[in-house]
Amino acid sequence: MASLSKASDSSSQRSKRSDQGMMGRDAAAASAVPIHGNLTQLIRQIKSGRLAYIKEKLEANRKTLQRHSCALFDVAAAAEVASRGTDGGNALSQRAAEGQSRLAGSDLANGIEERDVVYMQEENLAAGTLVLSSSGAAAQRTVVRFVKLPLVERIPPYTTWIFLDKNQRMADDQSVVGRRRIYYDPVGNEALICSDSDEEIPEPEEEKHFFTEGEDQLIWRATQEHGLNREVVNVLCQFIDATPSEIEERSEVLFEKNEKHSASSDKIESQLSLDKTMDAVLDSFDNLFCRRCLVFDCRLHGCSQNLVFPCEKQPYSLEPDENKKPCGHQCYLRWREGFQEMHDDGLGGCATYTMESGTASHKVDVNIMSESEDSNREKGNIRSMTLVGTSRSKIISSVSAEESTTPPSADTSETENVSSDLPPSSLRKHKISKHGPRYRERSPGKRQKVFTSDISFASNILNKLSIPEIRDTRQESRESGGDKLQIVDESTKKTSSKDICGESPTTTTDNVGRESNKVSSTNNLLEHTLSCWSALERDLYLKGIEIFGKNSCLIARNLLSGLKTCMEVANYMYNNGAAMAKRPLLNKSISGDFAETEQDYMEQDMVSRTRIYRRRGRNRKLKYTWKSAGHPTVRKRIGDGKQWYTQYNPCVCQQMCGKDCPCVENGTCCEKYCGCSKSCKNKFRGCHCAKSQCRSRQCPCFAANRECDPDVCRNCWVSCGDGSLGEPPARGDGYQCGNMKLLLKQQQRILLGRSDVAGWGAFIKNPVHKNDYLGEYTGELISHKEADKRGKIYDRANSSFLFDLNDQYVLDAYRKGDKLKFANHSSNPNCYAKVMLVAGDHRVGIYAKEHIEASEELFYDYRYGPDQAPAWARRPKGSKKDEASVSHHRAHKVAR
Amino acid sequence: MAPSKARRKRSLREVTTIIATGPIANSQPASSTLTKEEEQQEEQCPKEPKIPPLPPIMVNLVPQQGLGCEAVEGLLVPSLNREYKPCGKYIVGNHPIYAIGFNFMDVGYYDVFAAASGNSVTIYRCLENGSFGLLQAYVDEDKDESFYTLSWTKDKVDGGSPLLVAAGNNRIIRVINCATEKLAKSLVGHGGSIHEIKTHASKPSLIISASKDESVRLWNVHTGICVLIFAGVGGHRHDVLSVDFHPTEIGLFASCGMDNTVKIWSMKEFWVYVEKSYSWTDHPSKFPTRHIQFPVLSVAVHSDFVDCTRWLGDFILSKSVENEILLWEPKPDKNRPGEGSIDILQKYPVPQSTLWFMKFSCDFHFNQLAVGNSKGEIYVWEVQSCPPVLIDRLSNQECKSPIRQTAVSVDGSTILGAGDDGTIWRWDEVSPSSSKTEATQAAVAADAKA
Repeated sequence: MASLSKASDSSSQRSKRSDQGMMGRDAAAASAVPIHGNLTQLIRQIKSGRLAYIKEKLEANRKTLQRHSCALFDVAAAAEVASRGTDGGNALSQRAAEGQSRLAGSDLANGIEERDVVYMQEENLAAGTLVLSSSGAAAQRTVVRFVKLPLVERIPPYTTWIFLDKNQRMADDQSVVGRRRIYYDPVGNEALICSDSDEEIPEPEEEKHFFTEGEDQLIWRATQEHGLNREVVNVLCQFIDATPSEIEERSEVLFEKNEKHSASSDKIESQLSLDKTMDAVLDSFDNLFCRRCLVFDCRLHGCSQNLVFPCEKQPYSLEPDENKKPCGHQCYLRWREGFQEMHDDGLGGCATYTMESGTASHKVDVNIMSESEDSNREKGNIRSMTLVGTSRSKIISSVSAEESTTPPSADTSETENVSSDLPPSSLRKHKISKHGPRYRERSPGKRQKVFTSDISFASNILNKLSIPEIRDTRQESRESGGDKLQIVDESTKKTSSKDICGESPTTTTDNVGRESNKVSSTNNLLEHTLSCWSALERDLYLKGIEIFGKNSCLIARNLLSGLKTCMEVANYMYNNGAAMAKRPLLNKSISGDFAETEQDYMEQDMVSRTRIYRRRGRNRKLKYTWKSAGHPTVRKRIGDGKQWYTQYNPCVCQQMCGKDCPCVENGTCCEKYCGCSKSCKNKFRGCHCAKSQCRSRQCPCFAANRECDPDVCRNCWVSCGDGSLGEPPARGDGYQCGNMKLLLKQQQRILLGRSDVAGWGAFIKNPVHKNDYLGEYTGELISHKEADKRGKIYDRANSSFLFDLNDQYVLDAYRKGDKLKFANHSSNPNCYAKVMLVAGDHRVGIYAKEHIEASEELFYDYRYGPDQAPAWARRPKGSKKDEASVSHHRAHKVAR
Repeated sequence: MAPSKARRKRSLREVTTIIATGPIANSQPASSTLTKEEEQQEEQCPKEPKIPPLPPIMVNLVPQQGLGCEAVEGLLVPSLNREYKPCGKYIVGNHPIYAIGFNFMDVGYYDVFAAASGNSVTIYRCLENGSFGLLQAYVDEDKDESFYTLSWTKDKVDGGSPLLVAAGNNRIIRVINCATEKLAKSLVGHGGSIHEIKTHASKPSLIISASKDESVRLWNVHTGICVLIFAGVGGHRHDVLSVDFHPTEIGLFASCGMDNTVKIWSMKEFWVYVEKSYSWTDHPSKFPTRHIQFPVLSVAVHSDFVDCTRWLGDFILSKSVENEILLWEPKPDKNRPGEGSIDILQKYPVPQSTLWFMKFSCDFHFNQLAVGNSKGEIYVWEVQSCPPVLIDRLSNQECKSPIRQTAVSVDGSTILGAGDDGTIWRWDEVSPSSSKTEATQAAVAADAKA
């Protein structure tokens, strides 16, 4: 082997390691010998099995291939038969025949015994012929006339590119960092490899071993026969290229797998969709849906974006019950009517409970998450799950841990807190439940897996449930670590009936409460309906509360249609009022340092997310030579000319943005995608321009190099059609804001053609006026570091499509872009490029600098940095700098 | 961009390998801890790691290694199942010959082959006495043209006139009608030099071309239409060096290139366009050419430039500059596009082949494979036997320059090697009649040994 790659290095390291293992083993070998022999035999078996497998495969393949090639032969034979008929017209066969006859003559003369005959072919350019002559005794000459292939105009070179109508961020595997490319220097002969500097060549890394089927088999058989002990593992180490701990781990995995396999037959899996929690359902939505572009799998902002929840919500209008019409025959309003009739019959006595009666309420907080946690992992540390759980679940769980006010003792790992915290009055409960929706706003359905079923028992006169009974349920759920879900379901079932009874007194003033009281006392179907609220339904219900408020009609119709009736929702709502009581408390307790928690969580979240995507990035030892000093952070809003624009990232601030707000720190405005409220001081307020004023610097948007935003600017509306479809009334004169062209993609038709200057060029189809928007320069968004790498490559090819966008990104249109990437540079251009902030994203628009006639070629000034410009882009008057240094700089286009 | 003779040469010291693709997705330990230095560096520039990069679009599959996944490697001991003798050399000119190929399209032309050198393509005939007959010669008027590849095809499925397709540095595919000795068509569209062209065996109108512009294109020679372009997001990230149609499955092909990957593409979903291209009467440029951006599989079996790939039934033979040819089986996952696994079955060692752009070829029935190396030797392997059997190593005192391309005649009785020094070497089988029985006997013997 002439070359030893890094990869083979690592593999040799591995073998070295196993060698060492072998030596170490030799010392204490004697006992392991039978195992060893056994295993070698096993390995031989596996290997011969593999050989047989390959043989079989190849044989099968050979058969099909043979069949196929025979069929092809038939086709070729048919072709010969067919062409034989038209022999006369075929020049090739004609010539072949001629050659054959000539050969026949020479054949007789020379025979075939002569070896190593040298044939020479000479071009006779003057005559346009090719002469074949052979050396030695068999001197023969064949003369063939050259057939000329006429010139065809070549097209300029280019790399196949993909059209993009919207910028995309670079995907992980598109990076050129750590890759090697081969180049030819302009003089020609030597091929040079453009490899990155040493520190960027990926270093071999201790990789986790992957167990093949054969290895699995070996481990399995070995552990079956000899048991899992150190000896066996050590012997296995010699054969399998893995560490002992890896092997041990694997054998356990295999054992479990086998167990499962045998057990799977009698295990019935209930895979009802309703078993999932809202978070599981929403997970893909939260992770894959881009809230800025309103598409899934956004290639511009990426997946797993920070979730920004605006602090302001559209207020829902809660109609007073009196004015409402029943939404259907299952509407709770109907039930109320019916109840009122009943009430009139004089059964009201039971509704006279006082507030105090509901004082002794017990709350059972069954935290399944933490329970499953400690059944699997180290016990007693509730905090540990904050690492595993995603997003909001952390807050809740950690908070619930805090709330339990019990430092992790021997038994608290169970996190089954029976805290007798009692709402002193239902009045307070009501107050608290008012906070409910607000709390939900921040954590809509994010309580992933934390299946906290808070069941409050209000012990009162009617309640038959005694304390020991509660303990019983608790005990039960504690003991069974296995099927928690079931347990909880059971416990909810058990308690729900009592729940109903217990709840009712606290809501004496409420009609519905009274009604439910009635219902429970008459033992009707409510017990049944309440017991089977699945996790998903519950979450949907909570979402509904968040969206519609306590409007059971809307919730039932929009979110739980087909699952629950309005009636059931209403009952659940009022019975759950007590259960909700706990959460507002949480809300209160954390409201003070919520911002911190939020920040903290965000950071954690980021770490966990980036980690996923860093897996490939990690083995490149990145040296941050990025010139952060070279690009001073811009404190101004948006760059004017020489300064960098700053990339905008939505902040997650609640309410007002303070000094800590990332937007403020970076010097960007807050946009509509930020979490902060509309009155945030850092927010860009848009313009209030009257019609067609947005095209001059008088418009604050225009002046700030932003496009107007119909969501923000007061008078810049977008409407489609003539207003006949019921949009807001269009302005009389068909006015449209002139500063939204990029947003609305109102671009000119661009043609691609052979340039008058060099290579390809972009041309305009129709005449345009000065300052008209022509189109967008789209491309891949890459980091500056990546751009430096790519720039090196492109500079060698002398064609660069890099475009500096802002302090974070460079646009590269090399492989992805649109036709405007072919517009050439000119120091006296007819177009100009401008970076605009459109809906929070920087985009490059190309605008006409002057009136341009139809089918004229488009040029703009690339505005290369003074020391970056390639020779052709320099102004003639410029002094000639030394070329060598120039060529090493990456040439970027810069917008003005 | 200046073309040069040594254009394709790489010096030995440069044959270092970098694994362009990472390990299999989850091979990285989940808990990655940052060292102090890294943390500091990240503090210095907080903006960079703020936004995680998008996940890879196309994950390159890597072969599994370990017990039970071993490939069968052939021994470099010539079995001499068939014996070849040198039959002389043919000096074509000063230009290196990058392409040479027999016409397998028509039984009548089974002894006709073409060779491309510089700006000319010449058609010869292998005469029975071991000599060559010169049939036709075509020369491009552009002196700068350098043909890198050629492929035979024909007008119609049954019969029709033989066509020769050649292309190279000039990015133009020349379709030559050998029956009329005229240029039939020039297909323009590639943005970089064309490294290989292949003809679909059962649909001779369809050709695919691999180019420096990182794309593979499907053309209809009949109408001169560029039907499909295989490039883009999941496509090659560097020059494409070689392509090959799947022999039986219509619309499947493999491509490989300088990005170290082999990609398998399917045009099944776009077959409508292929059919449409036959009956297109309007100007070819108006045809709605479609881009296919995602291959069926993207495979990283090699860790350097992959310069030749051929289907062997459902398996793929591919060669990098690592002194061996691999035979592997792609196993795409039917339910999840772009995913699957691969299994390396056999290895055919080829010593001294560290130059790139060295291609191998097989006979019509795929029984033997001939590949040249940088020392002017040709290794002839029995491809379909397990373990692989080296038939012979063809070497000649005079032949010292690299063999870029080989051509094996229909039955494997003649092997041609085209060298960098502009010569064609011919080897003929010594006793074609007895060879077959010998070969089978030897195979049996080899089996018995194993």
